[in-house]
Amino acid sequence: MRVLLVEDEVRLADNLAAALRDGPGFAVDWAEDGQMGDDCACNRCYDLIVLDLMLPKLDGLSVLKRLRGRQDATPVLILTAKDGADSIIQLLNAGADDYLAKPFDLGELIARAKALIRRGKGAAHPALKVGSLELNTLEQTVRRDGIFVELSPTEYHILEYLMHRPRVIVSKRELLEHLYDYNWEHHSNVIEAHVSNLRKKLDADLPEPTPVIETMRGRGYRLAPELPPDQNEGQ
Amino acid sequence: MRLPSLNPRSIAFRLIVAVLAVELLSAVLVVFLSYGYERHIHFRAFDIALHGRVDSILGAVQDAEDPPQDNVMLVQPDLHLPPDDIYQVYDANSRLLGRSANWQGVPPDFSAPPRGQFTRMTVNGRHYRVLLFNASRIIDVAEPGGGKLRRFTILYGAPTEHVWHAINGAVEFYAAGNLLLLLVTGPLIAWLLHRGLLPLRQLAALAALVSVDSWQFSPPANARLTPELAPLTQAIENVLQRLERSFVQQRTFVSDAAHELKTAVAVIKSSLQLLGMKRRTAAEYQAGLERCLADSLRLEEIVAKMLTLAREESGVAALEPQPGADMAESLRQTVAQLETVAALRGVQVEVAAPAPGACAVPMAAEDCSLLLSNLLLNALQHSLPGSAVEVRLAQQAEAVELQIQDHGEGIDPAALPHVFDRFYRGDPSRARATGGTGLGLAICKAITERAGGSIALTSEPGPDLPNQGTTVTVRLPLAREALASQSLSPPPSA
Repeated sequence: MRVLLVEDEVRLADNLAAALRDGPGFAVDWAEDGQMGDDCACNRCYDLIVLDLMLPKLDGLSVLKRLRGRQDATPVLILTAKDGADSIIQLLNAGADDYLAKPFDLGELIARAKALIRRGKGAAHPALKVGSLELNTLEQTVRRDGIFVELSPTEYHILEYLMHRPRVIVSKRELLEHLYDYNWEHHSNVIEAHVSNLRKKLDADLPEPTPVIETMRGRGYRLAPELPPDQNEGQ
Repeated sequence: MRLPSLNPRSIAFRLIVAVLAVELLSAVLVVFLSYGYERHIHFRAFDIALHGRVDSILGAVQDAEDPPQDNVMLVQPDLHLPPDDIYQVYDANSRLLGRSANWQGVPPDFSAPPRGQFTRMTVNGRHYRVLLFNASRIIDVAEPGGGKLRRFTILYGAPTEHVWHAINGAVEFYAAGNLLLLLVTGPLIAWLLHRGLLPLRQLAALAALVSVDSWQFSPPANARLTPELAPLTQAIENVLQRLERSFVQQRTFVSDAAHELKTAVAVIKSSLQLLGMKRRTAAEYQAGLERCLADSLRLEEIVAKMLTLAREESGVAALEPQPGADMAESLRQTVAQLETVAALRGVQVEVAAPAPGACAVPMAAEDCSLLLSNLLLNALQHSLPGSAVEVRLAQQAEAVELQIQDHGEGIDPAALPHVFDRFYRGDPSRARATGGTGLGLAICKAITERAGGSIALTSEPGPDLPNQGTTVTVRLPLAREALASQSLSPPPSA
């Protein structure tokens, strides 16, 4: 998952980015002012935007309004040092999904970030289940038919992203965009290698391997495990 | 109807008392005047009546028909006089011709009062006004020889009780009337005053509605048009405006300060939590602790600067007499202190200033150092490496002018009006690089203004201009002692 962090206080931004990378393993982009945050958000490659309110050049509320004005539904978590119900009501009404008051707890921030991403993808529970696959986003564990599958962090993130969008074709570009932050070299063959390893690991312990991740040539990948044959038509 | 309270300090009460006192005074005056007037009127009528009665007595004097003596007599049965009146009639030989029955045995001394004179007498315990009348009349006109002129002296008195009664009655009437007027006008004035002061109470009620949360004060339209209320209305509005401005300022400051402090605390907290998120090596912990310490120092710096700013901006301190600080000496020290910083950044500091001892400014020495070091550090931090910062200090007739010019990147014209705002950072990335709190220039402004001076900033942004960079100009008045001693003795050199 890729998160856009818009925060002008450099030390806080460092800490938040580190926590989001180290904890849930998100890719984090950092924008140091509102204008830059707005520009970044235009790429629409984020699963969550963490937005500070008091920003130079363009304040957080304006960034939020512009974002929602573009019909961008990316979940937004506001960081605010302002107290008072009025300000919070105004924020939520402007399209914010959640807020945290400074000084906040890093654990809470991560939990809220995860919940917002999950909700943004239409899942209510931190444990995702598609066919025989089970993925626990809290423990970051994967089971197939009840058996744990050991995955590298990147493989896990690819599977997590696909499991949030079962039966939808996800392009390599989309995977790249959502798994790596801006500073990463974008090479689509990196994704290919990771997906190949992921397939092997998921099928490793099964007596009769059935591929759960299909490659749609030139279009991307699709998570479609063990579906009835009639729904697999048209491949 | 609600009457104004009878508080002795209330204006209404005082006005009522004053009006009633004037009324009372005029009532007393009226009573006295009416007494004099009534007395005059009544006694004039009384005296005319007395003359009339004397005339009728004179008419009752007849020839006694006793030829040898040729006497006259008073024919009393013909007289119809009030029964209470007294009279005595004498002839020229002081022989008593007749007297009233109720006036016995008093030997009149009618030689003393001249003719036509009134005297007061007490007869039988009653007060009389008596007219002494010397009359002459020709009696026995029918007799041969045409009668002869005879002289009489008539004493005629009438009791004055009823006259006095009438006078007193009239005076009492006036007194009672006036008293009644007082009694009626008292409450009437109170009521009128109450009504008259209504706009004042309305104004007060509206002013009472103003609170910290609602500064709206809309005086009624007539309050501005009423000459008595207009200055008060204007004063209330002015005070409220000033108060509101100061409140908003304070609120903004508190809000800004809270934001800064919360952010600083959030940094420390997140640093610590990040450190505890997973097991780390000793070196990582060490680095993390150093970061936390640095974050704490920054928080400390923000708090210290906020306190400085609060101290400089508080009006209380401004009332103390400010000693004169030697700005030239302060500048020398500050430049010496910041030598290392300048060297580190590769910036040359060029100072053009008079010798220490000159340029006494009305502020505390530590404030002067703070002002200079803030401005100079700012200039150093925003200078391009290899450039120079020019510091010019000059004493003018009654002022000291300090200019610090750097040749840095300059300030965005859009940001220029805000540079003295608290917590304002022109460019966040720059502030980050220099570790600014956004309070330095606000503190400089507070120090300068407290000393009665002014501070201004001009900037030429953009590269490759000869005078590119920022110039800050501080103008301060000369300290009073310095002005006084300027001509007397040369200042001691430090």
